[in-house]
Amino acid sequence: MTQQQQHQGRLAFIGGGNMAEAILGGLLACGYPLSQCVVSEPIQARCEFLQSKYPGLQTLSGPDANSLAVQGSKSASTTQSLIQDGSIQVNATAASTDFAPAEVVILAVKPQVLKNVVVDLAPALRALQPLVISIAAGIETSAIARFMADGVDEEALVAGSVKLPPVIRVMPNTPALVLEGAAGMYATAEATAEHREVAESLMAAVSKQVSWVETESLIDTVTGISGSGPAYFFLMMEAMEEAGVKLGMDRATAKALTIQTCLGAAKMAQLSSDDLETLRIKVTSPQGTTDAAIKAFEAGGFRDLVQKGVTAADARSRTLAKELGGAKL
Amino acid sequence: MLQSRLAFIGGGNMAEAILGGLLACGYPLSQCVVTEPLQARCEFLHSKYPGLQVLSGPQANHLAVNGSESVSYTAALVDNGSVHVNPTAGSESFPPAEVVILAVKPQVLRGVVSDLGKTLHQRKPLVISIAAGIETSAIARFMAEGASSESGSEATAAAPVQVQDKDLPPVIRVMPNTPALVNEGATGLYATPDTTPSQRLVAESLLGAVSKQVSWVDQESLIDTVTGISGSGPAYFFLMMEAMEDAAVKLGMDRETAKELTIQTCLGAAKMAQSSSDDLKTLRVKVTSPQGTTDAAIKTFERGGFRDLVAESVKAADSRSKSLAVELCGSSSKDSKL
Repeated sequence: MTQQQQHQGRLAFIGGGNMAEAILGGLLACGYPLSQCVVSEPIQARCEFLQSKYPGLQTLSGPDANSLAVQGSKSASTTQSLIQDGSIQVNATAASTDFAPAEVVILAVKPQVLKNVVVDLAPALRALQPLVISIAAGIETSAIARFMADGVDEEALVAGSVKLPPVIRVMPNTPALVLEGAAGMYATAEATAEHREVAESLMAAVSKQVSWVETESLIDTVTGISGSGPAYFFLMMEAMEEAGVKLGMDRATAKALTIQTCLGAAKMAQLSSDDLETLRIKVTSPQGTTDAAIKAFEAGGFRDLVQKGVTAADARSRTLAKELGGAKL
Repeated sequence: MLQSRLAFIGGGNMAEAILGGLLACGYPLSQCVVTEPLQARCEFLHSKYPGLQVLSGPQANHLAVNGSESVSYTAALVDNGSVHVNPTAGSESFPPAEVVILAVKPQVLRGVVSDLGKTLHQRKPLVISIAAGIETSAIARFMAEGASSESGSEATAAAPVQVQDKDLPPVIRVMPNTPALVNEGATGLYATPDTTPSQRLVAESLLGAVSKQVSWVDQESLIDTVTGISGSGPAYFFLMMEAMEDAAVKLGMDRETAKELTIQTCLGAAKMAQSSSDDLKTLRVKVTSPQGTTDAAIKTFERGGFRDLVAESVKAADSRSKSLAVELCGSSSKDSKL
């Protein structure tokens, strides 16, 4: 099987926001079949936008949209009656209105609403056992499991007579929107090697770097590095641009040179087998201009400041997880 | 397509990066000549670019700029040891250089240019200097020194000929940066008033072979600022990435993962910035939800004086660039020393 043929299972995006669209768009650009995708999205205007951008994409909204996306439609006439009674609205231009149950469910809703969404979907998820991939920040896999187990007897769960779908938690980042994402992933014990492969190839459609972490707590650290990290570089670049302008350079030139310098440095780092310290030392002639700048950074406690910032994001991620995973929202 | 005869004076990393980038874009190898004093380096260039004309020896620079009118002319210079050539390029004739790229270390540039003074005066190629800290007025002075003396190697001349500035080649000063080595350079250029638009275009397209951003500055003093931003800038990002990697490791992540995620984050941020019409502040604000994780980090940076620290460091590089220029371009006739 070619790489393209390997993972073409039915995908249901629950939530059609920016990140969902980025992943969908990246997959389609890589040849993923449009007919295998369905997006459930409550905001009508957003559905219309997605329909116009991806003609033929099946988008669903309305009270039953999520469960239809997950469970599939039994027949075109079943879908029709749901449309008629207002339970769902569909994309009129979509290829067909009957479709298979989801093999992969991507939870792309805002963290604050995820609990309710998953609780509503819990029976369908338990019945179908799709791979559940969550891109929601701050929601732990144990919380998702708890939401999926809603309504199930504790004993039945423990006895194993009721299984919960495997969950993979992903922390992507905004550059996924330009197909240059960095993503960290954590898989629960129930996820098989094949599940991991599927999740990885989905995220690889928009991420140039996909890394697994072995303990879920490291997803907070991923947040501190790559999740929130783009903003750190935006700030760095903004400060450099401003410095250039203060020294007499016009803003457009300062901006363009700064951004390309950031890009060039990252490219060098990616292509080199040297570590970052060695890369820096190699370009820092003693007593030269770079040396002067680096000495100023060091004297000003740059490293400590960066560490504090990363740690603050990591800590906030943990706090948010506690707030969002709690029994009350 | 640009096909001018190019002479690289000095065959170090940056020269090789530009040459390699040009060849990869289809620049004719036969139109390039490199002079390089280190034998080992010559051999490396011979093997990496078979057929490239690489010269070393006392008359190498002169031959590269002046050209060789005949095979026998070159052969004679080889025979008397004035020049060593690339065995695979062989002795040949070649035209004078239309563009001379000064790619020697700043500390030796004065001697090199002074020695070449007469030849440069005669042939008047476009001179492009990539040497840090050497001002165009200094290069002009060194050329005039060499052109005015009776012979290149005499310290004083009995009756030196005064060479007018307008008779000297025009000079374009370039501040490239290391990512040129991976064809991702950011380069600032300054052209003296006597350069023509087509000469500027030549310089731009040569540096464009290895740079994704090429920017002209209107005053030479801004080359120091280019140095502070893009010249030295890659190291600032290496430091930032190193600090982020270390922070993640301290929090329990393995180093490999920390490194890979950090580097791709840097790359992704730059790509977003390049492809967006938003300014950098707006880009940041758009990804910073109030009270979220990013907000926590950014607030920490702001409280810790991140911006001022960056400004100070850029300024330090700019200042050092200016003082290096003073050190290197002293107007006394003594050799500059670093």
